[in-house]
Amino acid sequence: MPNLNIVGKRKVFIYLSLALIIFCVIVIFVKGFNFGVDFSGGSEIVISCQEAYSIDQIRNALQQIDPSYATAKIVSAKPSGENITKNFYVITIKDSFPTSQKKDEFIAALAANLQSVDLGVEQFNDVSGYAAKEIKSYAWYAIIITLVVLLIYITIRFQFSYAIGAILALAHDVIITLGLYSLFGIEMNLMAVAAFLTLVGYSLNDTIVVYDRIRENRAKSKSTPIEEIINSSINEVLVRCLHTSVTTFIVAFLMLIIGGRAIAPFAFGLTMGVVVGTYSSIFIASPIVISMVKNKKKGTKKASSKAR
Amino acid sequence: MAVFIFALLGIVLPLSENKNNISVFKYLPNIKLGLDIQGGSSLEYSMVIPEGARAEEIVNNVIAVLRRRLDSAGYTEAVVSEVVVGGERRVRVEIPGISDTRRAEELIGSKGKLYFAEVLEVVESTTPPQITRNRKVKVNGEEIDLYSYVKDSRNPNLWYRVKNVFEFGDSPFQITGLDVTDARASLNPQGAGFVVNLSFNNQGKTKFELATANLIGRQIAIILDDEVIIAPVVRDKITEGRAEISGIETVQEAQNIAVLIKSGNLPVDLVKFQESTIGPTLGKDVVTTIVNAGIIGLVVVMIYMIIFYGWMGFVADIALMYNTLLLLGILSWTGAILTLPGIAGIILTFGTTIDGNIIIYERIKEEIRVGKPPLTAIKFGFNKVFPTILDANITTVLAGIVLYFLTSGTIRGFAVTLIIGVLGAMFTNLVVTRVILEGSSNLIKPEKYLKGIVVGKGGNE
Repeated sequence: MPNLNIVGKRKVFIYLSLALIIFCVIVIFVKGFNFGVDFSGGSEIVISCQEAYSIDQIRNALQQIDPSYATAKIVSAKPSGENITKNFYVITIKDSFPTSQKKDEFIAALAANLQSVDLGVEQFNDVSGYAAKEIKSYAWYAIIITLVVLLIYITIRFQFSYAIGAILALAHDVIITLGLYSLFGIEMNLMAVAAFLTLVGYSLNDTIVVYDRIRENRAKSKSTPIEEIINSSINEVLVRCLHTSVTTFIVAFLMLIIGGRAIAPFAFGLTMGVVVGTYSSIFIASPIVISMVKNKKKGTKKASSKAR
Repeated sequence: MAVFIFALLGIVLPLSENKNNISVFKYLPNIKLGLDIQGGSSLEYSMVIPEGARAEEIVNNVIAVLRRRLDSAGYTEAVVSEVVVGGERRVRVEIPGISDTRRAEELIGSKGKLYFAEVLEVVESTTPPQITRNRKVKVNGEEIDLYSYVKDSRNPNLWYRVKNVFEFGDSPFQITGLDVTDARASLNPQGAGFVVNLSFNNQGKTKFELATANLIGRQIAIILDDEVIIAPVVRDKITEGRAEISGIETVQEAQNIAVLIKSGNLPVDLVKFQESTIGPTLGKDVVTTIVNAGIIGLVVVMIYMIIFYGWMGFVADIALMYNTLLLLGILSWTGAILTLPGIAGIILTFGTTIDGNIIIYERIKEEIRVGKPPLTAIKFGFNKVFPTILDANITTVLAGIVLYFLTSGTIRGFAVTLIIGVLGAMFTNLVVTRVILEGSSNLIKPEKYLKGIVVGKGGNE
């Protein structure tokens, strides 16, 4: 069993995390997010055609339809299937097409401008501005309600200080992962929200395993100082945490590199989340509980009443 | 074991006539695949519901009308459902297997204005005739052209000059599809051919009585989307709110007319909220890649477990397979829809199952290090680990439940597989793994872990 002095060096880790968080917040504010149509509204169209075009050619064709389409996002994407010989392009524009007629006109104009004979629409996602607004607000609700539910559960099963510690660790994970999404320009869409919620569940799982060991060890020896208990508890579960993280990381990372564009917003969050989540469970979640538990002890001693 | 067989039956039994032909799902015919996997179109519309109207009724009405329209156009596989998000009601139409949505959108989008009008004149003309003198009449606050030419639905050269508003009684009125409660085709009880029976609601009954009383011997046209479906001659004043249109030659024609009349009016305007269409080839391709990624990941993790835990690692791999089959079985039985994020949820379940096993094994190792024989160590380990696994997994399930209730569509599929998967992982870890390990405790070599005690002692104290 390893014996690392994690609690003793907790200030180092907390400062490191604070620096990371500040860095990520700055990145988010400076660079912003690469919002998918789920959040920004608009249309995402995947077209397929026999001919190969450069991105500029497609941009010109779009510009001819409407000058404002010059800012469209165009990605050349070839699915990895063996028997697919066509070229695929993903076009994201800010407009939403309220009627099928408008949509047909757009596709027809695009095919004409590109002089393509077999331009086909493989995928079409149209999210009106209202839908985008709604999805955005519900993404927030989902995160906030999840946090509140978890806060209540951990308070019941452990203590309020632990719940706060767990939530702080979660906030830490979410902010840093958000920063990484911004830094690498990974698309933010509903899949990414699912990744965040999974990351929350995962990181919490890790944190709970450590807390559970602390709970057990405290019950065994009430006289040992909290620092020692927490440090030995972390060391006791360290091997388990690493094994779990490595296995989850393998699966998530494979999804990220082989899964392709469609699943990338999800797999990226998971891959980064495993790393950040494991780090925070070991080095952040438990050490920050120490000061809270200590303060509470002082308070309860003065009041000389209920200790738990 | 019984649970396992039950799950397996769900996978194997040919419960439905679904045919999945994508990747591994070929072998799992009972799992319903979401539109993002099998390809298809999902259209969501918001409704402009007037204040004070009974929303529930309107929504049901809209769904019924859309259902009939899609059925009559051959989209029998389409699913029409209500979506309630934050107090706002919307309708969603999901049509599997199509990527050309134009026809469907036309069917859904048209408000389908159906009304009855007095026929003034029937003319034959190859070009649309023009009304020379016209005026507007206000009915329920809406301005309507009094006269217009409407063409026949079967003969494009036949034009009816109609008076769009009935001007009998105290104030002008219209009879629309909203006044019709039912239309049915049946055999003519009194003669040759077929009839269409119409029923009216109370309001419609009064209006129809007034109109027919004044129009005996004249034609009333039934107009849907500016085409005359049929223009029967009024024989009597109709007082009971029931009318019969006779003289139709074939049963198909009668049925068609009935469907058109019945599926006539949408009570509100539908505005497209979002659309998502995915071509069948693209969906197939993405799924194949993800499934491959999942399987490779799974194999790597299984090898990893055997390297680190020997026999116990092998047991963990059995547990992993077991939980995967359990999950697929439950999906088959319940008819839950598997979406792309749902597959991600399954892959995540692998992680949870393995994690549970690792927690258990580390505990068992600790017990062995203290000197307990393997069987006792296993028993102790499982008892101690129970609250850990419970707390760790319940929190994940809670997050999954929140996700389930707050989202709709494909992400919900993720929540479903996550919840089922995590509960399954708990069962597998605490029951299945335990039974196998207790039965095979002689295969665990305690010497392997006892060696570690020398290194680990410092950490324990």
